[in-house]
Amino acid sequence: MRRSFGQRVEDSTFELNLAPMLDIIVSIVPMLLMSIAFVHITVVDTPVPQAVEKAMAAADNKKDQVQILLAVSKETGFRFTINEKGETHDVNVPLKGTDLDLVALHKETIELKKKYPDVFRVELNPEEKVPLEQIVLTMDQLRTIAKDESKVTFTDVDSGKSIETNLVFPDVVFGNVTGG
Amino acid sequence: MARRGFKKFMNKRSPSTFKIQITSMVDMFVILLVFLLKSYSTSPVQLTPSKDMTLPASTSMKDPTDVLKLQVSKTAIFVEDKKVMDLKDGVVDVKDVDQNDTQFLRTLYTELDGQANKSRTIASKNEEMEFDGKVILQADRALPYELLKKVMYTSMMAGYSDVKIAVLLKD
Repeated sequence: MRRSFGQRVEDSTFELNLAPMLDIIVSIVPMLLMSIAFVHITVVDTPVPQAVEKAMAAADNKKDQVQILLAVSKETGFRFTINEKGETHDVNVPLKGTDLDLVALHKETIELKKKYPDVFRVELNPEEKVPLEQIVLTMDQLRTIAKDESKVTFTDVDSGKSIETNLVFPDVVFGNVTGG
Repeated sequence: MARRGFKKFMNKRSPSTFKIQITSMVDMFVILLVFLLKSYSTSPVQLTPSKDMTLPASTSMKDPTDVLKLQVSKTAIFVEDKKVMDLKDGVVDVKDVDQNDTQFLRTLYTELDGQANKSRTIASKNEEMEFDGKVILQADRALPYELLKKVMYTSMMAGYSDVKIAVLLKD
């Protein structure tokens, strides 16, 4: 008995059994719903300077270290104070209208980094009226460069090789929490 | 006669079993699955800010770790979801401020000191645990530095000197 062509075509069609697939999906969905995050919360490190003893010990070890302080004011804008070998000089970044000029701050930060490539710490001294949002934005400008900017270069102490990084001043600390 | 009629009716009737068309349902679930996988978080710590709090936005990519959580909204200060102090539009009540040291918030210190002692006791009994003085500060973006300074100063006095500010990841 020979089977006709039409019969063969009819036999090759079949219905896909989607039930097991649906079972798997239904099992995965509740698990994913449990671990879903609609907003991604991250953290910014802001260690408060430790007790006086530690600060004094650190200062003894870093007598020649350049210190960079940044004052943030809603009335006058930003003011960098660079303490180099006992001498201090200021760099001002005035307000843009009534707002803090973050773009100019970033440009000045890059210039300072080029001048002092071995310095990684900035002490932040915001005025009491400055809101947290402005402080975090200021820290962002100090810490990293944008994707389209050229990378920062510094010399590795151990290997002596030149290293490229997108971190400018990654160690931003609040300098006026314990003091005035 | 009636029995024959019933038999005829039963034979003519369409079968009682039927197949559910689940293709469209699978389509829908696959779309849902892709969306959920996209927003799936691998972070071990889930921070949920309170309703009346808007966190500041930042480019920082660092994931939070499981440490003490301190929340500062415009109306109150919470330590691990426990209300410690009331605030009036981001301003501390005079009774909560130490008279000798205006930066010191005594009520907050008492709670934080208790938490620190608890952590130290656990650390002394369990070698795997360590008290590292880390705290995640979730604060409203509009709050002035004046208040945050007091909170950080007090937490530092209680032993929590490594403050991490919680932020929303900027796209």
